[in-house]
Amino acid sequence: MIDYEFLKAHSLDEALECLDSREGVKLIAGGTDVLVDIRKENARAKGFKYLLDVSGLRELKFIEERCDCVAIGALSTHTMLVESPVINKYFPLLASAAKTIGSTQIRNRGTVGGNVNNASPAADLLPPLIALGAHVKLLSLKGERNLPLDEFLAGPYRTNRQSGEMMTEVCVPFLGEGYFTDFQKIGRRKAMNIARLNLAVVLKIDGETVFDPRIVPGAATAYPIRFSKTEGTIAGKRVSEIDPAKIGETASEEMISATGIRWSTPYKRIALASLVKKALETIFAEAKANE
Amino acid sequence: MNNIKVTITVNGTRHCLKVGPKERLLDTLRERLHLTGTKEGCGVGECGACTVILDGEAVHSCMVLTAQIDGSEVLTVEGLEVDGRLHPLQEAFIKHHAVQCGFCTPGMLMSAKALLDKNPNPTREEIKTAIEGNLCRCTGYEQIIEAIESAAKSLKAN
Repeated sequence: MIDYEFLKAHSLDEALECLDSREGVKLIAGGTDVLVDIRKENARAKGFKYLLDVSGLRELKFIEERCDCVAIGALSTHTMLVESPVINKYFPLLASAAKTIGSTQIRNRGTVGGNVNNASPAADLLPPLIALGAHVKLLSLKGERNLPLDEFLAGPYRTNRQSGEMMTEVCVPFLGEGYFTDFQKIGRRKAMNIARLNLAVVLKIDGETVFDPRIVPGAATAYPIRFSKTEGTIAGKRVSEIDPAKIGETASEEMISATGIRWSTPYKRIALASLVKKALETIFAEAKANE
Repeated sequence: MNNIKVTITVNGTRHCLKVGPKERLLDTLRERLHLTGTKEGCGVGECGACTVILDGEAVHSCMVLTAQIDGSEVLTVEGLEVDGRLHPLQEAFIKHHAVQCGFCTPGMLMSAKALLDKNPNPTREEIKTAIEGNLCRCTGYEQIIEAIESAAKSLKAN
């Protein structure tokens, strides 16, 4: 039986004070992960004394275009990402990823901050946000920290958030000219779909040559990371020299070198290879159409 | 166990309640307010039987703590009927045989209502997206989709 005291933050300051002055505080926003964990008595929902509700902090519900990035408030819902003209204009892969999360009801409640901080290996926003080079902003009474998202993640369901800190926003830097992006996902069914595998690819094509490739599969490794070896095999190559199927196989090998052979490997080896192939083909076709 | 004071408006009626830290909106509706039209299926946000409209948006009432929603407005299936007259969605569900055992129906209706409130002219795909979180294990979805399409038409005609 999980027991806790419920606390409600009426302002960001109140939330930070509460996090600072108490031990064993768990945050709840949309609750679509936390309440399932509590109900199922999952190990990760144990060991907290206070449940601090931050869902009323309207000041963290925004998607804002700034001079160098788009800032997404931690309490922005997945529905807000799907419907945001700013996100669809600059980071369509983020809208595509958000669209595949849960169902309409989950997307209306679930938040970007929740998806990032729950840090599920299968979280749908993590691969695109990592591939986009997103930073998270952490606030505490002691001050502010900004961390690249890939440094913020510390393992499956683990982050480097310190006690006393709260993540308040994610900043996604603008991509320059010539960048292409794609998001892919496979699950057991179309709706209410927890990713068996997902994938974000971001790269630049300049005069037929690939620059700055970022390949981030989700649910492939303990937590989403960039596949730098695979990225290295296409960086600086001409599109015509790249065989997407071959790159897919390279990504599968990179996955296996990180995870070893697991029960799911016979499936994921083939599935990841074809996701990578599909993403690269989609991007190359789009680049060609844009010529 | 702490008691949290919450005021919520359900189907137009204000309720001042003292709730426990674990009480879900679903529990409040069914056990306190005796609005048993909202059903509990899975309890973990998978089946959609407990869908209600919270401040204009379809949500799972099993995935919301009542303590979280002080000041909010909730619409349940009981709130669809006005002066003894069924809502056009309810009429359409009957007409199109979109009900078999009926367990998923309140959730389906609320997802459909939330959709039509925002988007009076939904495409078939938009209807499917709106109800993708609502499971029906007997009738299937075809009649439900037809009912929502037909309700959209009759709402426009009025």
